[in-house]
Amino acid sequence: MAALQLLLNGVALGAAYALVALGFVLVLNATSAVNFAQGDLVMAGGLLAVALAPLIPLPDALPGIVLLPLVLVLMAGLGLLLALAAYLPLRRRPPVSVFISTIAVGIILQNGAAILFGPEPRAAPPLIGDGTLRLGGLAVPEQSLAIVAVAALLIGAQQWLFARTQLGRRLRATAQDPEMARACGVPVTAMILVTFAIAAACAGAAGLLLANRYFVTPTAGGDLILKAYIAVTVGGWGSVPGAVVGALLIALFEVGVSSILSYPAALGALYLTLLAILVLRPQGLFGEAVRRRG
Amino acid sequence: MRRTRPLPSILRAAIVSAIAASSVAVSPGAARADDTLSFPVLVPLTGFLSLEGTSQRNGAVLALKQTPAGVAIASEVVDTGTSPEAAVTALERAAGDGKVGAVAASMLGTQLLAMLPLAAEMKLPLVTVSGTASITEQGNPWVFRFFPGDAVTKAAHARYVVEELGKRRPAVIYQTTAYGQSGKQHLDAAFKALGVTPVFEEGVDPAAKDLLPVLSKALAAKPDVLVLHLHSGPTALLLKQAATSGVDLPIVAGSAMHQPSTAALLEPAELKGVCAETAASPISGGSPEIEAFTDSYRTAFGKDPDAFALGQYDGMTMVLEAVKAGARSPEAIRKALSAESFQGLAMTYKSDGKGNMAHSAVIVCYDGTSRVPKLVKRYDDPAIAAK
Amino acid sequence: MAERRSDAAASPPRGGGVLAGGALALLAYALLYASPYGLRVLTVAGVYALAAFGFQIVFGLGGALSLAQGAFFGVGAYVTGILGSRYGLGFEATFPLSLLAPLLLALPVGLAVLRLASHYFALATLGIAQVLHLLAVNLPDLTGGANGLAGVPGVVLFGHAVARGLPMAVLVWGLVALGGLVGWLLARGRFGRSLTALRDDPLAAGTLGLDVGRLRLAAFAASALFGGAAGALAVHTQRVVSPEVLEFPVMVSILTIAIVGGRGRMAGAMLGAVLLLHLPEWFRFLERGYLVVYGGALLLTVLVAPDGLTGLIDRAAGRLWGRRPHRLPAASAPPRFPAGGLAVEGLGKSFGGVHAVDGVSLELTPGTITGLIGPNGSGKSTVINLLSGLERPDAGHVVLAGRAVTGARADRLARAGLARSFQAAALPEGAGVLEAVAAARLAFDADARQAEAHARWALDRLGVGDLAAQSCDGLPAALRRRVELARAVVRRPAVLLLDEPAAGLTDGEKAELSTLLRGLTGEGTAILLVEHDMGFLLPLAGRVLCLDRGRVIYDGPAAGVRQDGAVAAAYLGTAVPA
Repeated sequence: MAALQLLLNGVALGAAYALVALGFVLVLNATSAVNFAQGDLVMAGGLLAVALAPLIPLPDALPGIVLLPLVLVLMAGLGLLLALAAYLPLRRRPPVSVFISTIAVGIILQNGAAILFGPEPRAAPPLIGDGTLRLGGLAVPEQSLAIVAVAALLIGAQQWLFARTQLGRRLRATAQDPEMARACGVPVTAMILVTFAIAAACAGAAGLLLANRYFVTPTAGGDLILKAYIAVTVGGWGSVPGAVVGALLIALFEVGVSSILSYPAALGALYLTLLAILVLRPQGLFGEAVRRRG
Repeated sequence: MRRTRPLPSILRAAIVSAIAASSVAVSPGAARADDTLSFPVLVPLTGFLSLEGTSQRNGAVLALKQTPAGVAIASEVVDTGTSPEAAVTALERAAGDGKVGAVAASMLGTQLLAMLPLAAEMKLPLVTVSGTASITEQGNPWVFRFFPGDAVTKAAHARYVVEELGKRRPAVIYQTTAYGQSGKQHLDAAFKALGVTPVFEEGVDPAAKDLLPVLSKALAAKPDVLVLHLHSGPTALLLKQAATSGVDLPIVAGSAMHQPSTAALLEPAELKGVCAETAASPISGGSPEIEAFTDSYRTAFGKDPDAFALGQYDGMTMVLEAVKAGARSPEAIRKALSAESFQGLAMTYKSDGKGNMAHSAVIVCYDGTSRVPKLVKRYDDPAIAAK
Repeated sequence: MAERRSDAAASPPRGGGVLAGGALALLAYALLYASPYGLRVLTVAGVYALAAFGFQIVFGLGGALSLAQGAFFGVGAYVTGILGSRYGLGFEATFPLSLLAPLLLALPVGLAVLRLASHYFALATLGIAQVLHLLAVNLPDLTGGANGLAGVPGVVLFGHAVARGLPMAVLVWGLVALGGLVGWLLARGRFGRSLTALRDDPLAAGTLGLDVGRLRLAAFAASALFGGAAGALAVHTQRVVSPEVLEFPVMVSILTIAIVGGRGRMAGAMLGAVLLLHLPEWFRFLERGYLVVYGGALLLTVLVAPDGLTGLIDRAAGRLWGRRPHRLPAASAPPRFPAGGLAVEGLGKSFGGVHAVDGVSLELTPGTITGLIGPNGSGKSTVINLLSGLERPDAGHVVLAGRAVTGARADRLARAGLARSFQAAALPEGAGVLEAVAAARLAFDADARQAEAHARWALDRLGVGDLAAQSCDGLPAALRRRVELARAVVRRPAVLLLDEPAAGLTDGEKAELSTLLRGLTGEGTAILLVEHDMGFLLPLAGRVLCLDRGRVIYDGPAAGVRQDGAVAAAYLGTAVPA
């Protein structure tokens, strides 16, 4: 029963990490650039939810779910800004330039948030409710269910978008070969902007969900970007299912392995497992989805 | 090299404007004369200790508003981040800025340890609220700690658990940071002195999101009390998870619990029965002076003060008292701090010869109806038991 | 600080003078104007410059995104910290050990993870760094735990204490100057150019005879030495060592310094370090806001100077004073490989169950041209890839100049006298023509200058000697092909594999190519010529093989190809009766 409880917590955490990694991998696919500000976007999404919560003129019952679309829209706008300021001017440059420009944006976000909100940890409102369901011996926080549901919904929506819609086909074409896509009449710049918007919206959702159960501070982004980076690399650079599995793997180590070993030992084991995976499967667990372009 | 030739001049311009800006901010209208004493505030405002560092800053800034008559005072707040390198650079910078009386120095143990040798060379007193035991064990006469060290607080922590609650099987969960490791070491010593061996001890990384694994393991060891020594966010996280899992053991947390921002993350009901050690709890009141301090702190900064703010406030006030009494040099201030006794808001401060000024700790508890804890036990110099 | 751009030999701009002037200005500032605080910031900048030198070698030149540079920095710091505070050892003992320890770490780690590509390599090196950080935090008996170790002494050199302030700044910047000089010499020499070739195209680098693994390992080891030195000096300036030196932000700083300064440039590392360490200090008066401004300034710098500060200075200097004509070395003929043939027996390779090459046997005799034809997808390119070591054969035997070389790596084959050209000329972007051709001699010549002299000879021989000072970018396709061919010819190999060298050439150019190839066979070279153009191929080749679906369907004199029914059927797509 204890193991089941841990599994439940691990899946909830992994689902949130998957949303973080998803935004990262989308930008990676569309631009072959590493968006180092992704973790700070998650933090910004969390603090945005904290800031907006008192403005919603509703009883405390449903704030999170009302906030979610608002946060998604505002964060998508922030994603557009990020693309305009830190990606588009550098698109003809080696990807490492974007790495640095997004580091700069991350520094601005992190310290801007610290000035606006102060250093205190904050909690965002729960998505639906703050209660805990008792199922047999299991304590199931409603928020954990909400995290898994929202993550599954957003990941599913994205799969649908990419697989079934005209926009998705254009986004995929841009990700595979921007030059070829442009030649075929795809508005590549617009597609890249859309990708950044979706990625930032994912970060916003992750931020809102994480900031309720695990709180949010202006410095929270650094740890999240490391985890997203690990998840995406382990899963296979650019593979979306790989990123989701990578995120679940990290959560499994954090929750599962640390329940057997100590937390630092579990972290060490995670990195040693990573090294083993890399040596045994040099292209990640799911193979490489994007060919390197730079 | 077009880009770097103007570097020195820009640098100098920046320093000059920095000094100008900050001295105007802290002592409005005070023209900078040669006898202006400056009291730089070098604390972590960014990074993982920014919460505590901001309290430190606010306490110091509030204290420095009480300019003694006839003395011009300047101050500048500089962020030290989390690296020793930044702390040392900030100290060097501050020392070059006019005549320094004393420095409000970072409570991050590693940073203070790095500042110590330089402060000794420059002969500048460092006033801090760091709990890290080793800062006063370096034989350095320039450090003054206005917060009980871990030897004091952890002795109070352990004694409350054993003597007041009558528990013999504590499970200890601590943070794998300087704060956590130093506290854990002193908890071990204090429990040992009381003849108690913790049934469980484990460190947790501050980045850990889900604390259920460590909580489950702790519960599996069949403890009769949970003893925490975690930072603010993780303390709240663990309490929340304990409430979710229906844990009904008593919980005695470390000083981070008393910070109002920790309690703000939890519902009052989730706090029921939780206690914490700290140097003081200004929001709990206790005397008209403390209430006045809390009010002016709220007015100035729009948030509730904690013990770090109060400790730093007391420390800088003692420094200003020395200035009022005629101390005009760092050496004179050092002498006053090491010899005098000072009745501060939190307690009476007196150096033990090593720079430990604070020797009292308190235990506060939450009753489940509000986020303001009640003072339940005061320990003056509890460390004897641990020695 | 003066540095000539090593990877743009075409016509280096005059940034060097500006940089040297800047170095003098900085020196004057340090000696005459700087406060103790200014000197400390400058000292720390020097420490980071030293760490960034190593990163410039492994990443800037070698293209391997090593996130272990911060870890090497931290290991150097801990060695000095532990030995200095616990055992009271002096600088003359701790400093070399702080270089040695990261090196001893880099060698086994490097061997294990060097074959990983780009981001997998980055993650693996990051993993190493994170494990070290965990150890530092959780082994308090050795490292002092999260609190670290206090009481690290300042630098004591043979009994003389180096005081903080000017003496320490002089020591650090003296080591920076020394390290920068070493790094600069490495960068512009054979080693640096080999690394650049490797960065631009690891596959092609192998076929040029460069041992990719060994070069990467050497670069990784060099970066460890620089990282360790910087870490040791960092601990001496801050006098404590704590896990903070192993944290990711240190790595990010080093990376940022290298890119903002100018990728692959030692002067860039210094400029970047001086700028990035001073930048936050200029905005200190904003209290908490200074980092927002710092982030904004960093973003602006990357946008304004995407090639780094050194790139910006070069461009500005180039515009002001024009470009300095590059002094080209006199052409000299490289030595010829002794003649030797290639014998292939039963070569086979399948990809996912498809037989791309199936039982191919052929013999290349010195002084002859053998043609290899076949419809698209018949396995011609795979044969060349197998013979040049880019793919490993599943079956068969290969003997090169009398030595069994079956399954040998590309660089071994190249050094044994085999050269190849690529169908799509793989010239490095941004490189000069002379430099691109000289890269093919780096594994053979004593130094870069000699390689360039040989490259001039090859360009002259290909009739494009006047291109030497130009950049590869923007060359018309026909000229690119000649430069590509020059990269093969400059090696004067025993065996030469050419993948469609005549595609897209005019008749006149084809005639010139024929003359060239005949000249090469006259010198004893054995040539395998993959070609579609029968009018070009058949007069040249003595013997021709035709492939279809990986199998040899014709092997005989060139004259018989046109009459062969199986060949005609393969080209026309009709099934060949078995």
